[in-house]
Amino acid sequence: MLYPPVYHTLLNSPVSAETQMLLPTVETMVGVLYFGLFAISFDFISGYTGYLSFGHAVFYGTGAYTVILIANGKMPLLGPGTPFMLSLLVGGLIAIALAILVGLVSFRLSGVYFAMITLGFAQVFYVFVRGWDYVANNPRDGPAVGPSHAEGFQIGVPGIDQLSLSIGVLTGDEVALLGSTLSGTEVSYYMIGLVVLACYFAMQRVIHSPFGRVMIAIRENEERAVAIGYNTYLYKLGAFAISGFFAAVAGGLFAGFKRSASPENSFYFLVTGDALLASIIGGFGTLAGSLYGHLFDETVREFLSKAGQGGGLLPYLRALLGQETLDATLFGDTTIGGLIDLLLNGHASLYVGLVFVLFVLYVPDGLLGTLRARIGGTFAEALPAKLWGDSDQ
Amino acid sequence: MILEALAEFLTLSELGGVIVNGLAKSALYVMIASGLTLIFGLMGVLNFAHGSLTMVGAYLGGLLMVVTVTSGTAPLTRLGLFFVAIVVVFALLTVLGGAIETTIIRPLYDRPPIYQILLTFGLTLVIEELVRIVLGIYDLQPLSDWQAALATKPQFLREPVSLGPVSAGWMSLFQILLGTITVVGIWAFLTKTRYGLYIRAGSEDTEMASALGIDVRQVFTVVFALGIGLAGAAGTLLMWDPTWGASVPLAAETLLPAFIVVIVGGLGTFRGTVVAALVVGMADAVTTWWFQNAIQFTGLPELVLFLVLVVTLIVRPQGLFGVEEVGGH
Repeated sequence: MLYPPVYHTLLNSPVSAETQMLLPTVETMVGVLYFGLFAISFDFISGYTGYLSFGHAVFYGTGAYTVILIANGKMPLLGPGTPFMLSLLVGGLIAIALAILVGLVSFRLSGVYFAMITLGFAQVFYVFVRGWDYVANNPRDGPAVGPSHAEGFQIGVPGIDQLSLSIGVLTGDEVALLGSTLSGTEVSYYMIGLVVLACYFAMQRVIHSPFGRVMIAIRENEERAVAIGYNTYLYKLGAFAISGFFAAVAGGLFAGFKRSASPENSFYFLVTGDALLASIIGGFGTLAGSLYGHLFDETVREFLSKAGQGGGLLPYLRALLGQETLDATLFGDTTIGGLIDLLLNGHASLYVGLVFVLFVLYVPDGLLGTLRARIGGTFAEALPAKLWGDSDQ
Repeated sequence: MILEALAEFLTLSELGGVIVNGLAKSALYVMIASGLTLIFGLMGVLNFAHGSLTMVGAYLGGLLMVVTVTSGTAPLTRLGLFFVAIVVVFALLTVLGGAIETTIIRPLYDRPPIYQILLTFGLTLVIEELVRIVLGIYDLQPLSDWQAALATKPQFLREPVSLGPVSAGWMSLFQILLGTITVVGIWAFLTKTRYGLYIRAGSEDTEMASALGIDVRQVFTVVFALGIGLAGAAGTLLMWDPTWGASVPLAAETLLPAFIVVIVGGLGTFRGTVVAALVVGMADAVTTWWFQNAIQFTGLPELVLFLVLVVTLIVRPQGLFGVEEVGGH
């Protein structure tokens, strides 16, 4: 919650170079929030019912495209002036309908087949959207928000300006608060964070309700759940629809912040792959873990990616080592600088992949799962118990 | 408009061309998918790294050809070198596959099958980045096809040949030939050799096979290694095909059709995979023709491939020749 001010304080402190190297920028953190929500929704269906939804990106893309199409006035019945919160909801509802349609067919299968048929559906939509020139002039590059909606998308209570703030890097509202000004990106961080938090609590609520118990029962032993008398088909369908709704909200937030989307970063199956990475590193079936997993993923990526505004290891090493060290030859005509370039420049996926493989092999419960197993329960329960000396046990 | 196109489609020359094209595509699909189906049938591991290893095979094969072929090399020598390249790539990737199986897949057999999907998915990330790093050293564009490798193709494979009224490319015939060799080779290996017998026994019942004294662990390693080797051989062939070519995105381009073929055929049946490759290849060729001649929708062939998958899973969830238990974890 306190990330932007802390980040700025650190940037202006003596350890600024290290901060810039180690920590992601606020803009990246906004991405962590909305994509984290997508990863959470993926974990909601895959981690709790055990049905790997490999085509989850289709819901993310639906949300993103709905927001942009409404803003461009291309959605029937809804003009470009539709409040952003309503667009999010509409995107979510379309995703629910889609999830039920896909789910009706897909939940007749299980295991690997389920993963594959959802992947199949998602790719059908991906190819379709990529070739449909109604959504954008160049459907391969995807649509962007046009001049019919030049102002930023507002999060808050629709219709009441005082209770809404715009998001976006350039279009976000600036807010003066306690003598300092929050930039558009920082406002976006808080407003998107608010929506993500609300969605997280909603999903958390569902997981801890009787409905969620049945979802876990399906993961642990579906035959037994059927034998007790639950209609698991309906429960799976319901869970899939809920998960699809929140995935679409995440996609809508993404489109609202970035103001454009392409088939590659919304509908493509590797988008689901990123969510999968996040949930495995964070902890499969822990909900919040997915967000931390994605945070970890993004931090590593930015840390190792090429010189962005966010810094990273490469510019830091260049500045630290100095030109002479960089030009020193190691062997043949390879310089140290060349070697660093070769190994670090834009190859973050390599290291993320290695970390991922190591996690699957040695830390199957993920970050949060392992921590929870260590302290014996969730943080909210275990921490007070530790502090008050286990009085309730 | 549609009727005119249909009339044109049904003429002997057009239809024949489509059929030859379809067979060529089927041959490619069967080569891409056969390694995947062997591995899944025996071990229950859905190998997400298959596409990446096909891509590695394409680059390795291209490297061998670029190094050995000069502009003065005669066409038939080039063809001979190509077969040598396929064999070398097959051998190299078989060794690599064996190494992957023994080091990182083996610890996962007693975990839920989802972990094998996850692990091989992580493997794709690592392999693709390693390839990108190597390409970076040699200043090759990872996203576009490797032209130098394409240029090693002998001239006559680029030219059309007429079979009666039908005109087809030599390349298509060459692909059909290689696909047939692959199918016959695997079929003979599975049914005529002792090791094939072990594999079929292990696919049917792993515990019973090991109770009868078969070293199932070793069989797993061999099958995984061979499957990866086949992926590499397929990659080498794709390197010469202008619509595929050696590039990093080749990994995803081949992985998805391979999954479709394996699942439509039924996970773990070789016969099913061959039939499915024929179905998918024909569907692809027919829709490609329609896209080129009548219907203006760029994604049509891709769309139809996935629709074949979806329809098959709705009508016959276990695939054309699949058995219920296999893969239904």
